[in-house]
Amino acid sequence: MSEEHDIVCRCEEVTREEIMEAIRLGDDSLDAIKKRTRAGMGFCQGRTCRRLIVQILSAYHHMPPDHFLPGSIRMPIAPIALRLLASTVDGDTDDPSKT
Amino acid sequence: MERIEQHPILSIETAETIHITVDGRVLEARAGDTIAAALLANGIRTFRHTAKLHEPRGLFCGIGQCTDCIMEVDGRPNVRTCVTRVRDGMIIRTQQGNGGLRHEAL
Amino acid sequence: MKHYDLIVVGAGPAGSGAAIEAGRRGASVLLIDENDRPGGQLSKQIHKFFGSQEHHAGTRGFIIGQALLREAQEAKVEIRLGWRVWGIFPDGSVTAANDTESVRFHGALIVLATGASENALSFPGCTLPGVMTAGAAQTFANVHHVLPGHDFVMVGSGNVGLIVTYQLLQAGANVKAILEAAPKLSGYAVHAGKVRRAGVPIMLQHTVVRAFGHDALEAVEVAQVDDHFQPVSGTGSVIPCDTLCLAVGLTPRIELARAAGCAMVWSGPLGGMIPRHDRHMESGQDRILVAGDLAGIEEASTALDEGRLAGIRAAFRLGLISSAEYEELRTQAQERLDRLRQGPFGEKRRLAKEEVWRA
Repeated sequence: MSEEHDIVCRCEEVTREEIMEAIRLGDDSLDAIKKRTRAGMGFCQGRTCRRLIVQILSAYHHMPPDHFLPGSIRMPIAPIALRLLASTVDGDTDDPSKT
Repeated sequence: MERIEQHPILSIETAETIHITVDGRVLEARAGDTIAAALLANGIRTFRHTAKLHEPRGLFCGIGQCTDCIMEVDGRPNVRTCVTRVRDGMIIRTQQGNGGLRHEAL
Repeated sequence: MKHYDLIVVGAGPAGSGAAIEAGRRGASVLLIDENDRPGGQLSKQIHKFFGSQEHHAGTRGFIIGQALLREAQEAKVEIRLGWRVWGIFPDGSVTAANDTESVRFHGALIVLATGASENALSFPGCTLPGVMTAGAAQTFANVHHVLPGHDFVMVGSGNVGLIVTYQLLQAGANVKAILEAAPKLSGYAVHAGKVRRAGVPIMLQHTVVRAFGHDALEAVEVAQVDDHFQPVSGTGSVIPCDTLCLAVGLTPRIELARAAGCAMVWSGPLGGMIPRHDRHMESGQDRILVAGDLAGIEEASTALDEGRLAGIRAAFRLGLISSAEYEELRTQAQERLDRLRQGPFGEKRRLAKEEVWRA
């Protein structure tokens, strides 16, 4: 690692400095930051970084964290392969061992 | 990084030894291991390098939530190694970047 | 579509409690969980629980998990493991997928017991292999029986940090220090006593500043912090270690509750944003009940009783018990919860809960 940085969004590799830059450019919500930096758009869907980004927003704007939460959440709420989503079938089996 | 063979509370049963191939090297694992557990027991901590900054990653949440520990398993990228169990003959590779198929697998 | 009286999402203590209570009273119940073993995070708890007899006091967490599974089976609960719920819809349908298929189920009522996730910290080097949540180290030591390192440093002196430290020692690891940013311990004195007697120093008003290592963790720099939790320059020191565990709190997993349209409230003492709920564990969103860490971070025993409460409520709403029976069972469960919410730590949570009910 040549330059020291701290990663906030581990999935999309977004640093604290990139989040700060987005905030300085006027992004004042989780969704706006996500749109600009991709923070929260990775496989874990913001589960790991959402709280950290809210802390940064809250410190910068001197506002309580709940002002910035919960942010928008869309389904699927777990990363599921698209081919599976598209072929969702009605569960009609009584066999619980089919797991 | 080592297997716990003795424990004051848990009774540790020794499962059958099986073999996996990691980056071309044949390693011992135990039936029922998660891939991550088998790798750690073999002293391997770096599971992938990231797409953007090419940084090493390994185990982080340990329960399938964060996806930091993903690897290429039997040709399939983005497999969560902390919740996927080994199989005899499994071929595992250190994942470079996103492994191609972005929103497939998992 | 397969229809159930009740679908419970999450087979940890809260979800299991809800499924058991509703199942016992004749409800058809589907209990669904993404993990391939039930019990949620109970499966990695090897310490004995506190409390009274009714709360399995003196029993180790993973044993409680096994007992709950048997109770659920006796209550004829259908259990699906290894299925990740990805959607929930106003008509009561719930969609879940495993590696090979995605399936839709329907529930007249739904209990969400999705639990919590561990908080992360961001600092230079925080993504190095060897930096992990305390729960990850605990899972690997206690469930998979592999130590993820030799020389550990723990961040956080709450009960998770203290208990995991002790369990890492039991598994044969060396824990070099516990760092606590606050000026005092945040967990129970009884747990702190155990790790102190084992020779682990607890460094108050200290935090991790950066992690070093080429391809994996080799050392951490720690420093003293001021009253605003900012590192004081000139106080840094380097501790060689191969594993840094983060035990810095939990956040309720609200994604599914949000997708279900539940209103959210903020509660600092309960871990942040949680779905609004009343004393019956009803979310205000028709057919949706909530329980356990999702409804506020507490302890496994509290989660279990909240789950039982939600299960009893579900049985009442399904017409399986009378309002008199419900009131009696609810009062008993509430009394058990009140007993768990005593003491300086519990009291704070009890007051926070009551505030949520009023919201």
